[in-house]
Amino acid sequence: MLVEFQQAVADLTASPEFCISVRRDPAILRQRYELTEREWRRLVGIVQHPGMACACTVYRANRLAPLAMNLPLTCRALGKELRAVVSEYWATFPEGNVHFFIETDRFCRFLEAKLAEGVRFPAKVAPVLAQEAALIADALRESETEAMPYEVGDYRDLADVLAGPGLDDGAVKVPFPG
Amino acid sequence: VAQNRPAVGLLYNPATPDVIEHAPELVQYLAVMPDRLWFDFGAQAVAGRRFHRTLGAMEEVRRRARGRMLAGHGLGLSLPSAMPLDETFVEAVATMSADLGGFLWYSEHLSLFITPKGSVPNAQAGLGLPVVYDEEAFEIISTKLARRRQRLGCRLLLENGSFFTPVPDMDMSEPTFLNNLYAGGHCGTLLDLHNLYVSWRNGGTRPEAYLEELDPDAVEEIHLAGGDDFAGFYMDSHSGLTPPEVWRFAFDYAPRFRRLRAITFEFQETYYDRLRPDGVVAELIRMHELAARCNVTREVTDAG
Repeated sequence: MLVEFQQAVADLTASPEFCISVRRDPAILRQRYELTEREWRRLVGIVQHPGMACACTVYRANRLAPLAMNLPLTCRALGKELRAVVSEYWATFPEGNVHFFIETDRFCRFLEAKLAEGVRFPAKVAPVLAQEAALIADALRESETEAMPYEVGDYRDLADVLAGPGLDDGAVKVPFPG
Repeated sequence: VAQNRPAVGLLYNPATPDVIEHAPELVQYLAVMPDRLWFDFGAQAVAGRRFHRTLGAMEEVRRRARGRMLAGHGLGLSLPSAMPLDETFVEAVATMSADLGGFLWYSEHLSLFITPKGSVPNAQAGLGLPVVYDEEAFEIISTKLARRRQRLGCRLLLENGSFFTPVPDMDMSEPTFLNNLYAGGHCGTLLDLHNLYVSWRNGGTRPEAYLEELDPDAVEEIHLAGGDDFAGFYMDSHSGLTPPEVWRFAFDYAPRFRRLRAITFEFQETYYDRLRPDGVVAELIRMHELAARCNVTREVTDAG
């Protein structure tokens, strides 16, 4: 079924781990999705294509974009912890929100819950998270009006964030919505 | 705009007003993305309050579009998805078009962004998922295009995507699929030459082969852009100026497009400091040189 095929392509792109599993055992696809033989062969071809690694990387960069743009200090403060934290966050919330402030607000709450549970992060995380989470909450409220100002150049340091403790080996160029 | 030449313009972003300040006469056309002029609170939002428009930004677009051609360019609809059309989204685009004075045409991407269990996060780095080009996809897309055209009342275009992972064993190539949509009266083609270059750089079809297969009469708009290398791949990041190879494709093929209405440069405003106004203006000058080589002899019917 086409709808299952499309979901499988999206799921594979969202998860390098799933890609690795399917490369090892392509039969997994038949267990998870209702596919025709041809659709299954197409998926196996896609997952084995060298470009799949790049698609997975861009997917993660695009999901990271709202967080790195809106929470640059928190991302920096998380340092090497960032990769594990966002991976857990994405596993918990596999569906991103197109509204960047909703997505960022949800991540703030996720981090706040972790802190409340006693998870140990670098010392700077809690104060900068509190500061940035408050700004995001304000921005989210403001976006509910129809008079949100259209600022230029708010998020220009994303490349630095990604190049520092980021998810990949090199700097990812700044993705932007739209 | 001379009637036998395509208009030259930009995909609107917050840096566009500054470019226009530097060279107002070079920008004849603006393409605006409704997705960037509102906040989408999603289907769970209170009825009627899903889209919250950014009124300041819309007013700026209105001001800059005065005396220029204006079209819409969409990202979020995901026409190839094997799911019902997002009617609320369609209505919101129609409302925005009316608010901005009416789009001359509206373009969408021939890429998959939404699946039943979620959406593909799509920032400008370009991650539309590949489409299976067969009769089933043709039926899905053409049906949705008909509904869109009915609601928007203007010509529709579909843009070729850039992909990292081509789908093997397809019934049709992408140009054949676009040709069939055009031949069936469903839409025209927005030919993104940089996307062709991206796909080719990442192991896809040779752009010349693609362009030879594409019906030249289907092409009504061209996109130019630049990207950069990352991890052994070439990205559609809109971070730079148009690469020389893409200019070569443009000058070789655009004069064949008898229904070409616009040539558009896309860049990310986050890179504007690096591109600088002079860099974008130089692109616009060259785009006008390209437009001067074109001879538009076949009229496009706006009603689609």
